[in-house]
Amino acid sequence: MDLRHLARIPRRRDFLRQGLNGLGIGIGLPALLRSTSNALAADALDGGSGSNPERILVVVELTGGNDGLNTVVPYRNDEYYRVRPRIGIRKDDAIAISDEAGLHPSLVGFERLYKDGKLAVVEGCGYPDPSLSHFSSMSFWHTGVPNGGETLGWVGRFADAYADAGIRNAVVNIGPSQSLAVRGNVHPPLVFAEPAQLRREGSETEKRSIASLDLNADSQNPTLAFLRSVARNAADSGALVRDAWSSYRTPVDYGIAGGLSSDLRKVAALIAAGLPTQVYYVAYRGNSFDTHVHQADLHSRLLMYTADAIRGFMVDMGRIGRAADVAMMVFTEFGRRIEENASEGTDHGTAGPMFLVGDGVKGGFYGATPSLTDTDAGNLKMTTDFRRVYATMISEWMGHTDTSSILKGEFEPLGAFS
Amino acid sequence: MQSSYGQSHRRAWAILASLAALSICLPSHGAPKIENTVAWADDLSPVVEADWSYELAAHLLERAGFGGTPEEIQALSDMPVSEAVNRIVDYEAIDASALLDFEESGLWDPGMDPFPPSRAEAVRIARSEGQALGVEVLSPGSSRRLQPVVDKFFYGLRANVLETRRVALWWADRMVATPRPLEEKMTLFWHGHFATSETKVRDYRKLLLQNKTLREHATGNFRDLLLAVMRDPAMLVYLDNGQNVKDHPNENFGRELLELFTMGVGNYTEHDIREASRAFTGWTNDVLEFRVDQDKHDDGMKEFLGKRGAFDGEEIVDIILAQPVTAEFVSSKIYRFFVREGPTAATKTRLANIFREAEYELKPLLRAIFLSRDFYSAHSVATQIKSPVQLLASTYRKLGLARAPTIPDFNAQTRRLGQTLLYPPNVAGWSGGRTWITPATLLERGNAVREVLFPQDPESFGHPDRHLPGIYERVAQRLAQGMNITNATRSGDSGSSMLADADEEYNTRYGGYRGYVLAYERIKLVPRQAAEFNLAAMVRDSGAETASEAVDHLMKRFLRTPLAAADRDELVNLLAKDVGSQSLVVDPTELETALRSVLYVMLCSPEYQLG
Repeated sequence: MDLRHLARIPRRRDFLRQGLNGLGIGIGLPALLRSTSNALAADALDGGSGSNPERILVVVELTGGNDGLNTVVPYRNDEYYRVRPRIGIRKDDAIAISDEAGLHPSLVGFERLYKDGKLAVVEGCGYPDPSLSHFSSMSFWHTGVPNGGETLGWVGRFADAYADAGIRNAVVNIGPSQSLAVRGNVHPPLVFAEPAQLRREGSETEKRSIASLDLNADSQNPTLAFLRSVARNAADSGALVRDAWSSYRTPVDYGIAGGLSSDLRKVAALIAAGLPTQVYYVAYRGNSFDTHVHQADLHSRLLMYTADAIRGFMVDMGRIGRAADVAMMVFTEFGRRIEENASEGTDHGTAGPMFLVGDGVKGGFYGATPSLTDTDAGNLKMTTDFRRVYATMISEWMGHTDTSSILKGEFEPLGAFS
Repeated sequence: MQSSYGQSHRRAWAILASLAALSICLPSHGAPKIENTVAWADDLSPVVEADWSYELAAHLLERAGFGGTPEEIQALSDMPVSEAVNRIVDYEAIDASALLDFEESGLWDPGMDPFPPSRAEAVRIARSEGQALGVEVLSPGSSRRLQPVVDKFFYGLRANVLETRRVALWWADRMVATPRPLEEKMTLFWHGHFATSETKVRDYRKLLLQNKTLREHATGNFRDLLLAVMRDPAMLVYLDNGQNVKDHPNENFGRELLELFTMGVGNYTEHDIREASRAFTGWTNDVLEFRVDQDKHDDGMKEFLGKRGAFDGEEIVDIILAQPVTAEFVSSKIYRFFVREGPTAATKTRLANIFREAEYELKPLLRAIFLSRDFYSAHSVATQIKSPVQLLASTYRKLGLARAPTIPDFNAQTRRLGQTLLYPPNVAGWSGGRTWITPATLLERGNAVREVLFPQDPESFGHPDRHLPGIYERVAQRLAQGMNITNATRSGDSGSSMLADADEEYNTRYGGYRGYVLAYERIKLVPRQAAEFNLAAMVRDSGAETASEAVDHLMKRFLRTPLAAADRDELVNLLAKDVGSQSLVVDPTELETALRSVLYVMLCSPEYQLG
């Protein structure tokens, strides 16, 4: 295990004090960006970027609708075994973490976090009048405004309210396309799937010519204006991300390569490089958790990859000395139907557990366990409005107390951070 | 939000209109004045002959197809406008017999159907029946007696991936080669509307069949198309309708039918979804044939959208089509695909009326759109972000290519840009519009074009459809060194390589490796060749004699909205510097390289992303 390069990893505070030049990162950057980054760093030190400028929120989306009942298993509940005779997690297999609840046996990574007091389970998360449609429900979680027709994302609105307007890359979204969750008015998120993508091919002459195209020109064509703003962002951030990624090495095991583990490694690289990013958004993609058919093996793998990657990421944060600055929030668009279906899978449902992870988290259970018998036509009745969890991250973790203007209503935080 | 966006949008165009007197916008050759086209927004009345121009014809070909060469655009603009639109819409009159059929590799053999859902399931069948997937297990006592079945399972997975990629290349080639561009464009639209992906279907035959179904009904009647899709094996598999049975209805099919295919969310209840799903119970497929399993069909009474009856699937479809919102939902989506985001309520209603009055025939709707002033208004022209497939296919057509090149690889390129044919991200298809663009994909769009303009030679390009992933490459090397299967397939590099060969039922990693090898033996190799084109000749034939004339020709050929004057000047300077003078009298090879370089910079511009 080679930890020698640790000393070279800049702390975010250093980054803020010195700007990019001070770290030797800025040398290859265009003069405009160099001066901007120094100015921004100065702004940030003056407290222009919210209340807890050191802190970072990592949002993890599990797409497809994770089966919450087989994730946090009510292993003492006979009704659970009655309605899930074939796919229920057997009592002996569940990892008991309370008198009532056990983790799916694949969640060894979560078990470790729980024992260390760094994992909070928030049960029964949902919203009123739930939609069983992936697209509607996910858009409600993304906007944070169920059944509301909101067009900006909650992360985007949070960043708009929280991060100084001059901060570049306040929000980073790892993925092939931009999530609705990060759509805001002020902060264009930096979106990429692979750092290598942020590279312009071509000869030096060609690249110089491309760089000279005027991206600041006004346009009356709104789509062209949009393209120019993204092009500016791409030109400014590409080298930063690629350098961060290419210089990043970690001995920490994030579990099987690919998917969530790769994306969390990219987040770790950017944090290690001292980017001023305050929210990172990653997803277990491809509607993977949509387990309608023969779900046992598949769901088991999905959970294992998820928990291993998340635990690996937190260990890595500890290694680079940033564990105290990072908290994660894990969600899915809905849980699944209580009763298993005819094909040893589960159909779309409603409420499900969320997870909060981090050194600052007060480990344990939050929210009431939903009843398996008092149901909404065979679906769980939610016990915790998911916006309370958002409010928790916004106010208790990030230190931004005005949650109501972001979440368009009053939602009481859970008291899940110490 | 929608309204405030609309307002600023409108305001922006009002400013533009006031600047029109300075003629800073659309090129002027015969084109209507900009203040006229701004006022055309939301006006569905047809353009008149006096308005018809090269610029309008270029827009029509860009949107209704995949763009074209200046010669093709000129030919279209030389026709009367109604004739030009008919030529696009009534494409059956155009002979397309020169287009090639897909050449199958023949990867399925008897016994592989039905293909088991997982390796574990294949193994279970093999254990209990002594054979599976058309191969027999080895005799009792043999080592790895189930190995042939596991190999065959992984072969099936891999071979279908490779063959599906070949289908996608065949389709991409059609987009470039077809004399009926609207046929392929609408097929692409329906592929996004009725999205199914190889990742779940795992059978290229079903995807190819669906592609043919979508093409057959591309501009026909929506009811016929919808019913064909509801009976389509790929869709039945993709939405798990095989599991939708009387005693345990599966709602996936019914839900997506209402939410994504016909009505849109908010126009029905959860109860309607459950009742619709009951009506489709028993609708299933025997491999490539639609079949109703009467024993599993629920023929009881249903209550659906306010009607009661013992409805079956077809009756459900007719109730859906009788809803006014269905005509509006589908016609508005077609409008957004061809014209722009956010049709006004009035436009939506008028489109829906056209669609319903035509009893869901698609051609009257398409004709009305392509003739309308709204379609040619400044709000519409060059305001759409090209999809990755559109970006590449139209680049090829604007270069005048007769076929799509296979260097670079169309699938690999579009995947990097966020769109892979036959692999939509989910049942909702691609979100499109601004979601195509992130900092990463915007850079990649330029890079992708560079690989077209400066292609790798076949030698170094090799055959990307023959690569072994690293783990299997290692297995192959170790086997070649004479190791036994246990040693060849162990993980990592440390530890002993002298392990005794394990006594086991099968070895999964070896099976995965064998699957690749068997698939490579069976699937036809894609011949690799780069595009051949001659920019210098194109520029010369246009009459251009100077660097600025050459840049102007390239702009006319490739851009639907011009570069700003300063950016154009930058390109002129780049070209003049590269060839050593303003005149283009230099060595042809040198000129070609310089022109490609300039074109590369031009196609990296934000302007080129617009169509």
